[in-house]
Amino acid sequence: MSAKKYLTRMGDASQCEMTADEIISDIKDATADAAKKGKVDPLTKGEMDFIADVIMAPDTMVSVAPGKSVVSTTDIGCYKMLYAAGVPMDRCDEALVRERGFCGDSTDFGYEDYSFKPTKASVDTYEAKQMQNVLDRTTMPVLYGAMPNLGLYTKPDGPVGNWNELLPAGKIKEAREAQEQAVEYAVKDIVYVAEKMYDMGADGINLDTVGAAGDADMLASLKAVKIIKDKMPTLGIEMGMAGEFVLGIHGKLEYNGTRLAGLYPHKQVKLCEEVGCDIFGSVVNTNCSKSAAWNYAKVATLTKPCVEAADIPVHANAGMGVNGMPMSLTMPIDMVTRADKCLVEICKVDGL
Amino acid sequence: MENLLKKASDAIMDMDEDATKEVLDEAIASNFDLKQLLEKGLSVGMTELGEQFSAGEVFLPELLTAAEIMQNATKRIETELAKSGISATKKGKVVFATVNGDIHDIGKGICCSLLKTGGINVIDLGRDVPAETIVDKAVETDADIIAMSSLLTTSMHVQQDVCKILEERGIRDKFYVMVGGAPVTQRWCDKIKANAYTENATECSKVVSDYIASIS
Repeated sequence: MSAKKYLTRMGDASQCEMTADEIISDIKDATADAAKKGKVDPLTKGEMDFIADVIMAPDTMVSVAPGKSVVSTTDIGCYKMLYAAGVPMDRCDEALVRERGFCGDSTDFGYEDYSFKPTKASVDTYEAKQMQNVLDRTTMPVLYGAMPNLGLYTKPDGPVGNWNELLPAGKIKEAREAQEQAVEYAVKDIVYVAEKMYDMGADGINLDTVGAAGDADMLASLKAVKIIKDKMPTLGIEMGMAGEFVLGIHGKLEYNGTRLAGLYPHKQVKLCEEVGCDIFGSVVNTNCSKSAAWNYAKVATLTKPCVEAADIPVHANAGMGVNGMPMSLTMPIDMVTRADKCLVEICKVDGL
Repeated sequence: MENLLKKASDAIMDMDEDATKEVLDEAIASNFDLKQLLEKGLSVGMTELGEQFSAGEVFLPELLTAAEIMQNATKRIETELAKSGISATKKGKVVFATVNGDIHDIGKGICCSLLKTGGINVIDLGRDVPAETIVDKAVETDADIIAMSSLLTTSMHVQQDVCKILEERGIRDKFYVMVGGAPVTQRWCDKIKANAYTENATECSKVVSDYIASIS
C-alpha cells in the first residue's frame, strides 16, 4: 500500500501532495541548511515533529493554543483594502477598519509611494494632516510607515552615482562612495519625516524593508533611528527588515564596529536595540521552489535564535513572500495560519 | 597536480591577484594542462565563493573582485591555449531585463555584474522593459540568451509574453530564454516553455556559461 499523502503547498502557494517522510525530509534539509548559513543551532527533533504535525493537520485553518495569542499589526500604509482587496476605500477609513473590523492592535499609515524620500515633499502639507485625521479617530497606536529605499537616491532618480551601473563596470570604489553619500541623504529624510510626525502626535515610526538596497540601506536606518531616539525619546520605533541577511552591496560598512553585510536576524536585532528601536520586524525569505514544510523549518531555525537574543519585542513580518507566507497575491489561509502557528509556538515571536 | 589545483582555487577564494598570477606562471612553466587548471582549480574557487555569496558570507564587491581576477586569468589561459592552436571559447551575448511593470532590479544588477566580470557580453535593458522591446533588442544585437527578472507576481506574465512573441515570429529556437526572480519557479519556467530557471546570481552565471560552452 502506498504511503498516505498530505495536501500541502509550495512557496508560491501552488498545491502539492507529500508523504510524511517527504515532509520530514524537507524539514530536516531546511533546518540543516539554515543552521549552517546562519551559524545557529538546527531545530530539535521535537520542533521538527511539531512542524510536521502542523503541516499534516487535517484542518484548513490552524490556530495557536489558548493563552499563546500575540498582537498583530499591519504595514504598507493602510492601502491594502484598496490595492490588495480592490475595495475603494480611503486610507484613513482603512485605519478604522483595521482597528474596529479586523481587531488590529496597531497599524502603520503612510504615503502611497511608501518611501521616505518622496514623502518628505508632502509631509508638511498633506501627510501630517492625514495622520492627524487618523489619530483623532482611532485609539490604537498608529505608526507612520515608509521604506528607506536607498535606490531612490541614485541617478537618474537622485543625486548620487548608481551602484547598479558602477559595480558591473568594475568601479567598486565609486560604487561604495555613492552608497556612503546616499546614506547621508536618506538619514536626513528619515529624521525629517519622523520629526514632522512626532510634532503631529504620531505614536511611532515604522522603517519598513530595511536593507532592501543592501548594507548601506541598513546603515542609513540605524543612523536615523539613533538620531530620532536621541531627539524624540517617546516616539516608538519599529524596524522591519527586507531579508534574512543583509545584502553586502557595499560590503565594508559597519555600525559601531559591527560589519552590517551578512548579518542574520539574531544579530540584526541586537543592532536595532543598540540604536533604540522598540520593535524588531524579523524576516526570513520564502523560497517559491520549496515546500511549505521546508520554508517553515527554515523560518523557525533563523527566527527562534533571534527572539531568544532579543531584549525588545520581535514582530515577525507575516506578509507576502516572507516568514513562510507564500509569494502569492491571494494568500491561502491554510498556509498563512500554519506559518503563523510555527512562528508563535516554536519561535515565540511577540507579534505578527 | 592536486596541489596546483588547490593553489589556484585558494588564490581565487582569497581574491589574490598575485597568487593567481604565480599559479599560472607555475602551470605554464611545468606544461600543466591549463584547461584543467581553469575548470578544476580556478572555477572551483569561483563556485565556492558563489556559494558563500549566496549564504551572505561574501559580498558583492569581493565577488566582483574575484571575478575580475578570474577573468584576467581566463584571458591569459586562452592566449596560451591559442599558441597551441586551441581556439578561445565563445563568450556569448545576453540581453537582460527586468520586465515591464517591475522596477525591482537589484537581483538583475547582481546577475549582470557577475556575467560581465565572467566575460559575457551583457546588454542590460534596465527595468520596466516591455516584452516587444526585449525581443526586438535580442534580434537587433543577435543575442544568444534572453534573460528576464521579475520580482512581482503581477509582472511575471511578461516573461510568458516574450516566449509567445518569439513563437509568433518564428524565432523561438534562436534564443535560450532564462527566467528568474523571487516568485519565479521551475514550474513557471516549464509552463511558459522557457529554457532555464535559476534561483540566484551564481546559478545564473553558471547556467549562462554552461550554455555558451555547449554552443561553442
